[in-house]
Amino acid sequence: MPVIDVKHLTKTYKTYKRGAGMGQTFKSFFQREEVMVHAVNDISFAIEQGEICGILGPNGAGKSTAIKMLCGALYPTSGEIQVLGYSPARDRKRYVGKIGAVFGQKSQLIWDIPPIDSFNMNRAIYGIATPDFKSRLEELTELLDIAHVIEKPTRVLSLGERMKCEFVMAMLHQPDILFLDEPTIGLDVIAKVKIREFVHQMNKKQNMTCILTTHDLEDVEELAHRVIVINHGEKVFDDSLQRLKLFLGEKKRVSFTFSESVQGTVFDNAYTKVIDRPSDFQITLEVDTAYISISDFLEDISRKHRFSDISVKELPIQQVVMNIYENAGGY
Amino acid sequence: MKRYLDVYKQCMYSAAQSAVAYRMNFIVSSLITLVGNILFPLVTLLIYRAGTSFPGWSLYEVLLIQSVFTMSSGLSSVIFGGVLWTTMSHVREGSFEVILLKPLNPLFYIVATTFSTDSIGLLLGGISLFIFSAAHAGAISALYWLQFAGLFIAGTAVLAGLSLMMAAMSFKWVGNSRISELADSVLHIGKYPLPIFPKAVQAVASMIIPVGMIGFFPASALLGRAQASDFAAILPCFLFLAAGVWIYRHMIRLYEGVGG
Repeated sequence: MPVIDVKHLTKTYKTYKRGAGMGQTFKSFFQREEVMVHAVNDISFAIEQGEICGILGPNGAGKSTAIKMLCGALYPTSGEIQVLGYSPARDRKRYVGKIGAVFGQKSQLIWDIPPIDSFNMNRAIYGIATPDFKSRLEELTELLDIAHVIEKPTRVLSLGERMKCEFVMAMLHQPDILFLDEPTIGLDVIAKVKIREFVHQMNKKQNMTCILTTHDLEDVEELAHRVIVINHGEKVFDDSLQRLKLFLGEKKRVSFTFSESVQGTVFDNAYTKVIDRPSDFQITLEVDTAYISISDFLEDISRKHRFSDISVKELPIQQVVMNIYENAGGY
Repeated sequence: MKRYLDVYKQCMYSAAQSAVAYRMNFIVSSLITLVGNILFPLVTLLIYRAGTSFPGWSLYEVLLIQSVFTMSSGLSSVIFGGVLWTTMSHVREGSFEVILLKPLNPLFYIVATTFSTDSIGLLLGGISLFIFSAAHAGAISALYWLQFAGLFIAGTAVLAGLSLMMAAMSFKWVGNSRISELADSVLHIGKYPLPIFPKAVQAVASMIIPVGMIGFFPASALLGRAQASDFAAILPCFLFLAAGVWIYRHMIRLYEGVGG
């Protein structure tokens, strides 16, 4: 039986079109055009206990609205949500004690005081017994390597340290389900790796179900067993990571800054496609790693050209969505 | 219940810690709030020094009304004062879900987390003025003190209800940053002897928006000038608070968050 069961979930809200420029702004003061926004449109899915499900989608796709409804913070316009046998918005007070949430852009920590006091606040809120609180805090701070920062004021902590403290806040009461909304946004690689390791361990140790919204494909690759892709409020993909990779074609984006002009040089071939050429010295290529490994590709390029800078990135999520649409027949 | 008390205690501790973290801000804010709110008794003093008066009320009796009003405002600000601005900012920034994620009554949690140390100055100022003016009121019987306590609590309930109603408006009317000025203009009535106003205003200030209970009625009880009918105004006060709680809880359902 799934722990999360979502049927025909829809969230619609009313907003107003204000236009651009002075004239339209003035006009909108007297007469505003109503716009109905379908933030989430007829989405259904089910998630099993212990599963890590990544919800992917570009900005404004409806991921955060969906996760807020799953957390009980927003009422759905229509449709049904059952999580752990609760209706999140209706049974909010009883339900939220069973879940944890980390919002990458909204802090639960109290800004002016050390995280340890925010943790103590959660101890009181969730009614955690003091010995349990102490042992869990010790375990979590050790896992996240933040024991040395929890007594410093929150405002002096780095973004990475703060985000790790947010995870402690969300995990102290040992939730059955953890909701993560863009948890790695703005973090450096080291902090991202640490947080992904932490989620992995919690999932394995406590068989904790985890829902993760992100537009960072690496988060999904590292963590998720399953992926749901949302675009314009609608579900466009719901399957395993392996199947998503079929759509991605295992491609990477590699950007070079060359030491000499590469004007006129042809880079397109069976496994490489030019994406952007902002100057005679710079180029962004899409490399299909199913045909050539990144190391072989770099070796090949460095034999022919000298370069001063390089970056290797995953495909942007917009591209993933486009690929899914292009191959919609296959899904 | 124990859990709620524990949370409130923890919130007070956090508020005290935040105040200590910005000591200068705490001192300046307390002074500004105090000065801004105790200036109006000075106007009363000037009125009486100029030879005019509120008919039937001596200077110290009017000061007593105004000190009770200041105390009530101070107590309400300490406990409920932050609800309006915090709700407004959560709704505008779309961070109210942080409140809704806690397994508590959201209204209790937001009241607890907005415990305002800045308003302690106002409460202390009100208490000082109260002691000064009550000392000139002559002997006050235990019964009058008891009546005063009951009416004072009812007056604080009115202020709490008003704070909650204004805060609740934020869910629908996002960014209504000047709504408190509207409330302040109504509250002014409570700072003066109610009989100086027309009968219609007296009726509204007693039974509909019972602002008379914030200063006038409790002070009258202390002076032995309360009439039996004044106590009938207690019921609308608690109804007003109940309405504030109901409206706030109802309006939470309208929360829509902001784009992620």
